[in-house]
Amino acid sequence: MHESSSLLQTAEVVHWAALIIMAVVYSLRLRWLFNFKPGADKSAPGAPGRTDKKRGANYSLFNVAMPWSMESTRKGFAFYLTFVIFHLGVVAGITLAFLSTITPNFVANPVFARICGSTLVLAFLVAIYRVFRRLFTPVMKLISTPDDYFSLFMLTAWFGLGAVTQAHLAGVQGFESVNILVAYLFLTSFFLVYVPFSKISHYLYYPFTRIWIGRALGHRGSYPIVRG
Amino acid sequence: MSKPAKTHKIKMMEEQLAKKLNRQVVGSLVGCVHCGMCNDCCHYVLSHPDDPKMTPSYKADQVRKLFKANHDWTGSVFPWWVGADKVPLTDDDLDQLKDIAFGTCTNCRRCTINCPMGVDTATLNRIMRGLLTNVGVMPEGVRVVSKDQWELGNQMGVLKEDYIDTLEWMSEELEEDLGHGEAAIPIDKAGAKIMYAINPREVKYDPRTIKEAALIFWAAGEDWTMPTEGWDNTNFGLFSGDDGLGGASAKREYDKARELGVDKIVISECGHGYRSTRHEGVNWSGDAEPFPMESSVMTMLRYIKEGKIVVDPTKNSQRATFHDSCNNARSCGFYEEPRELLRLVTTDFQEMYPNRAEGFCCTGGGGAMSMSEYTPRRLKSGEIKANQIRETGAEIVVTSCHNCVDGLGDLIKHYELGCEVKQLVDLVANALVLEECAVMKGRPATAPVPEAPVPTAEVEAAAVPAVAVEAPLSGRKILVVDDEEDIRTFLVTVFEDAGAEVMEASDGDECIEKAKVFRPDLISLDLSMPGKSGVDAFVELRKTAETEEIPVCVVTGHPEFRQVIYDRPVPPPEGYLNKPVDEDKLVSYVAHIVDAKDEKAN
Repeated sequence: MHESSSLLQTAEVVHWAALIIMAVVYSLRLRWLFNFKPGADKSAPGAPGRTDKKRGANYSLFNVAMPWSMESTRKGFAFYLTFVIFHLGVVAGITLAFLSTITPNFVANPVFARICGSTLVLAFLVAIYRVFRRLFTPVMKLISTPDDYFSLFMLTAWFGLGAVTQAHLAGVQGFESVNILVAYLFLTSFFLVYVPFSKISHYLYYPFTRIWIGRALGHRGSYPIVRG
Repeated sequence: MSKPAKTHKIKMMEEQLAKKLNRQVVGSLVGCVHCGMCNDCCHYVLSHPDDPKMTPSYKADQVRKLFKANHDWTGSVFPWWVGADKVPLTDDDLDQLKDIAFGTCTNCRRCTINCPMGVDTATLNRIMRGLLTNVGVMPEGVRVVSKDQWELGNQMGVLKEDYIDTLEWMSEELEEDLGHGEAAIPIDKAGAKIMYAINPREVKYDPRTIKEAALIFWAAGEDWTMPTEGWDNTNFGLFSGDDGLGGASAKREYDKARELGVDKIVISECGHGYRSTRHEGVNWSGDAEPFPMESSVMTMLRYIKEGKIVVDPTKNSQRATFHDSCNNARSCGFYEEPRELLRLVTTDFQEMYPNRAEGFCCTGGGGAMSMSEYTPRRLKSGEIKANQIRETGAEIVVTSCHNCVDGLGDLIKHYELGCEVKQLVDLVANALVLEECAVMKGRPATAPVPEAPVPTAEVEAAAVPAVAVEAPLSGRKILVVDDEEDIRTFLVTVFEDAGAEVMEASDGDECIEKAKVFRPDLISLDLSMPGKSGVDAFVELRKTAETEEIPVCVVTGHPEFRQVIYDRPVPPPEGYLNKPVDEDKLVSYVAHIVDAKDEKAN
């Protein structure tokens, strides 16, 4: 851990505490989800030769990496790319927050700094686009809740601050203040505590919803989708 | 200003919702991130680009809000934060929900397969339908059809005697076609290998498909039967969201199959019927051991592959395209077998794109046919399907679903596509090479070869004079009602050639006046007329003492007729025919209606 300032040390402790809180709340969330009875399809398998629950589940789980497999990502490929960049930004931001407290020398490495920093800058730009989309597209305005807006605004700010933090950690001139890292760690801590109660927790449910729909449609023979 | 208190119906809906929750449903309820990716996959959205409320996410949010307000942590404590504050509170709110759940979605599941999170939006919409149905909030057509399925065991209110009468009528027609009674439909035959379950639409409005199936079963030498109970493979529980009705309807079929001791249930070409009987009904009814079941498409395909029937594809030389029923393709993975069969019985098959599980809905499903109030919206939403069909240049659109037959039929008329709809059973029957089929094997060489009936309009027209001994409508009085003079003249000529005495009326008021004076044996009624419409005239006929007993055969080219079939303000018409009308089908059908009425009277 850093020894340079007590504020930074406090920020690091709060950051780890936030992680533990997030983990506890996520465990409770999963327990709540699995308290509901499982749905089961007792009908005979659908299409002979094509029916396979496991294959359906695998196809469904990994279709995020196969943009050609769904019409929505095939036709909306540009939007799919923004989705990829946005989520890589999340990975970069979380990685930055944790490595900055564990291996600060590594995050200062020029190669890591360029990759992480670029990803965060791109994610920030995508987030700005998404803010405009959510604010000004009629469909998005209709379906958006305060949670949707706040989560997006917070992530946008977090990406931006993350890029600045990376610059600070890489020793870029003009970003010397340690308060940048402190602010970033506090914002990440807030993010970690807020996420389990917000729509951002969708990534916790993602594997389950994908596997469940995959098994259901795999059993019937509809997954994997065949195009003619 | 304080919020109104929740009504009793809302509270009941909340209680019911709790009973419908399982992990998969909850996953779909919490998994939506409002990304909007489902938006451009929905035919309602694509055809109503200026109405953001058509987006699937908005529709699913109607039940999601209820869930979040009552079962989700954040929603329970800070409902306004997650949109759970805008839940329905009054019965007026429920009317709006009814319009969303029933009128802006056919539950086709296109949104489901395009959701990055795997949210099953269509199932959530069905859940909302079920919640509304449970408190009595539903379109009138849904109410009437559900009631009939509960009470009479079929969704078109077909009485048992009318059902059996129709089977016997088709058996008689087969006897006339073949010159013998071998192909007669076996009814309630115990121990048969196959029990054939059909769509009541076939009984009520298109019995020809029953005859064609019977011919194919006979040609294949099949040991089969049709039951007197549990014969309806359709299931309005799928559309209304009522799992109780779904289970009861499916159980009727399974129980009858077990009672008869058959080996398998064969389901006639019906998308939601196949899905409900083959899959969902097993879950709704809690049936411990799923009964062996297959679609008639697979049965016919198997017959050809096993050499039990032989077909000549050159008998179906028109360009054909195939429309995948949403329930068959997306919910049952049933899309290759119909294509395989189609390629065996036609010579010119052109795919439409997209297809299979990615195919667009024809807007005929989800119970849409029974909800006449949403017809204009439904037809507009079908524009995408209409464009798909147009691009193929097809003369016939083939589908394995009766709702799609009606849905596509409406689109073809509305968008003037100039083609017709057929089912695979039509094409297989037409392509049969009877002398090479299994039923003819083993017959002595000197045995006469029965002529294979070719159920096309032209050949039926040629065959009828040879079979008919006297004019089929001799001695009958028929009142023809249509505002278009050409159509009136055509119908009058057809009926007079068949021996009937005919009167004409050109509008609804004249129809009622002449019906009272002329007292016809049957009224041929167009529905789309200026002034008093055919629908209003029909209702008045039924409510007037002097005319209430006169059978009515609706002859129309517009989908408004479904209002009298499904909403049923009065007893429904005895028959329905689609324009343009086939002469021989018209005469045969009308003769059957008036003969049936005489038999009942006697």
